[in-house]
Amino acid sequence: MLRLKRIIPMLMALLMLTLALYPGHGQANAQSASSTDEKRTLTIGLSPDFAPYEFLMTVDGKSKVVGSDVMIAEEIAKDMGAELVIREMSFDSLIPALQSGRIDMIISGMTPTDERRQNVDFSDLYYTSRQVILTRSEDVDKYKTMDALQGEQIGVQTGSIQEEIANSIPDAQVTAVKTISDVVSLLSSDRVNAAVFEGPVAEAQVKNRPGIAIAEAVPEDSDTPMAIAVQKGNTELVNEINVTLERLRATNAVDGFIQQANELNSGETAPSNIFSFFWKYRGFYADGVKYTLLLSALGVLFGFLIGLLIALLRLSGVKILKWIAVTYIEVLRGTPMLVQLLIIHFGLASAFDIKFSVLQSGIITLSLNSSAYLAEIFRAGIQNVDKGQMEAARSLGMPRGMAMRTIIIPQAIKGVLPAIGNEFVVIIKESSIVSFIGVADLMFQANAVRTLTYSGLYPLVIAAGIYLVMTLILSKLLNVLERRLSAGDSR
Amino acid sequence: MIAVKNLQKSFGKNNVLRGIDTEIKKGEVVVVIGPSGSGKSTFLRCLNRLEDVTGGEILFEGQPITDKKHNIDKTREKMGMVFQQFNLFPHKSVLDNITLAPIKLQGLSKVEADKRAEALLQSVGLADKKNAYPAQLSGGQKQRIAIVRALAMQPHVMLFDEPTSALDPEMVGEVLDVMKKLAEDGMTMVIVTHEMGFAREVGDRIVFMDGGVIVEEGTPEEVFGAPKNVRTQDFLSKVL
Repeated sequence: MLRLKRIIPMLMALLMLTLALYPGHGQANAQSASSTDEKRTLTIGLSPDFAPYEFLMTVDGKSKVVGSDVMIAEEIAKDMGAELVIREMSFDSLIPALQSGRIDMIISGMTPTDERRQNVDFSDLYYTSRQVILTRSEDVDKYKTMDALQGEQIGVQTGSIQEEIANSIPDAQVTAVKTISDVVSLLSSDRVNAAVFEGPVAEAQVKNRPGIAIAEAVPEDSDTPMAIAVQKGNTELVNEINVTLERLRATNAVDGFIQQANELNSGETAPSNIFSFFWKYRGFYADGVKYTLLLSALGVLFGFLIGLLIALLRLSGVKILKWIAVTYIEVLRGTPMLVQLLIIHFGLASAFDIKFSVLQSGIITLSLNSSAYLAEIFRAGIQNVDKGQMEAARSLGMPRGMAMRTIIIPQAIKGVLPAIGNEFVVIIKESSIVSFIGVADLMFQANAVRTLTYSGLYPLVIAAGIYLVMTLILSKLLNVLERRLSAGDSR
Repeated sequence: MIAVKNLQKSFGKNNVLRGIDTEIKKGEVVVVIGPSGSGKSTFLRCLNRLEDVTGGEILFEGQPITDKKHNIDKTREKMGMVFQQFNLFPHKSVLDNITLAPIKLQGLSKVEADKRAEALLQSVGLADKKNAYPAQLSGGQKQRIAIVRALAMQPHVMLFDEPTSALDPEMVGEVLDVMKKLAEDGMTMVIVTHEMGFAREVGDRIVFMDGGVIVEEGTPEEVFGAPKNVRTQDFLSKVL
């Protein structure tokens, strides 16, 4: 156990280092855009699956966010003399991220609806697009008018203006999913029969994916204006943005940006062989694996330590400590990890101004969640150690704590090693959930490749394969460790 | 050395000890016998407070160890205990089993502790097993190691809780021999056992317990030769 004593400070140091290494990860706040003493940064949030406004491209094997919105943001940053920082996240995470001060503004083809205006302030409009109905090519004649869509299965992106339009169609059965590529997948896999899309976005999709087409039906009030969102009350920033927008409007620059972006988005031809596909995008997956491993390793290590502490509290025999431990375990096991993640990342930020970076939030969530499961595993392990062991240790004069550390816990951990190994494997898989708030883990990168290549299957199969390889290697390592630890049993 | 005054112990409503009064002198070997359920093991476990007492008092070397404020860990360092199930630490080697407490509690260096352990192992004939793990030993060997582990703390008294009951018959002798030698060297010992021959040979005093009280005590000749109490006679007629 002397070893454990040495490991704990090491882990702490490791955590500090990790947190120090990623200080800016999603941590920019509203003040940074208006502070003048340092080099200014302008941190924007966007959901890069909205070609031609914002989308990903492979540049030298790395993904890069490009699009007309990015070009506009670059102009704004230039006028402000600030450095542009782009944060990618899912569309419905944008407003919480803005409210919690993680980003300075949202430029992501966002329409200033009354509902959104209650939560954020908007700049002047910078572009107005129309909405269209996307269907499979063979159904294109079915939907000549909006009436034809009544009672139809319709796909949209969650939290988007298109979702509102779809919901206003009588009897429509609306399926809302996270990304544009998911919506298109719904359509091509016959799960929905039509989808509401932004005009230029739909055109980009039609250009790059076979079998889909734009129908004649046009949603009423389909003119959809776009504006830049900032934190409520940040009029200073709105004014600065509006100056730039005014300048761009004078030269009709935005139309030019969209045309440029459309040309950029001529579609990458992804290899049709899964191996060459993987090879082409290996850079994405390698980046993702790094984050997944970092998250899982730290999540499991801290989960291990916290879990052990909780198990000891639970077995302490002190009523109040036991109650705290039981509550901790039940709450963390009885609520979805996604909810925990969102509370830690967005909830704490907006309620208490505690702003963790996405990576910190991911690690904290995984640690807390796994600690609850590990606590129960440890408890079972400790209770399975023969009562005589504690008695023998105490009879030699060891205080309870020393007996626990040197005699009981090492035996308990050895006994539950297979169960701990299982939990490690679970954490590697579950860590994929952090892609939701924008940690660039393996799942996140797989989605990025999907968006990039308009390919529905390969990016996910490759991700699954990599997860499998990681969990298999881990199982093997645990087997070896188990064998080495069983030095004392000759049976 | 140990004075027991009106010792009582109950588990819930079950009164296991109903007032024990006795005294154990330095160098004395006291053997506690009696039918199962008589409370003899509980009595022994109360002596080093593995069981908390319900009533009465125990003085060890003049100190009231049943007092809640008394640091029992310090006292236990002077009271070795040997269990029926050996309770060796399975994840530690024989040497580590023995040296763990002296190093951690008495501040011995590894070298000093090893030296002490090796001498003790030599005396019980197990010097060659120092690097073995408990699972590689026979029951008799395990119990001899357990005795050495307790002795390594250089205790003032040794408590034995049915040390041969879990052993195969052919291994009982080797453990009893070690205990006999210990007694000859003048160790104060309290032994709970069913080995009547051993009790008669090694015991300075025999304590017969039944129903949570001491029914009869005396020299082996008195208790085994001419038991006065009916319950003692009845018990001895069954086991001898």
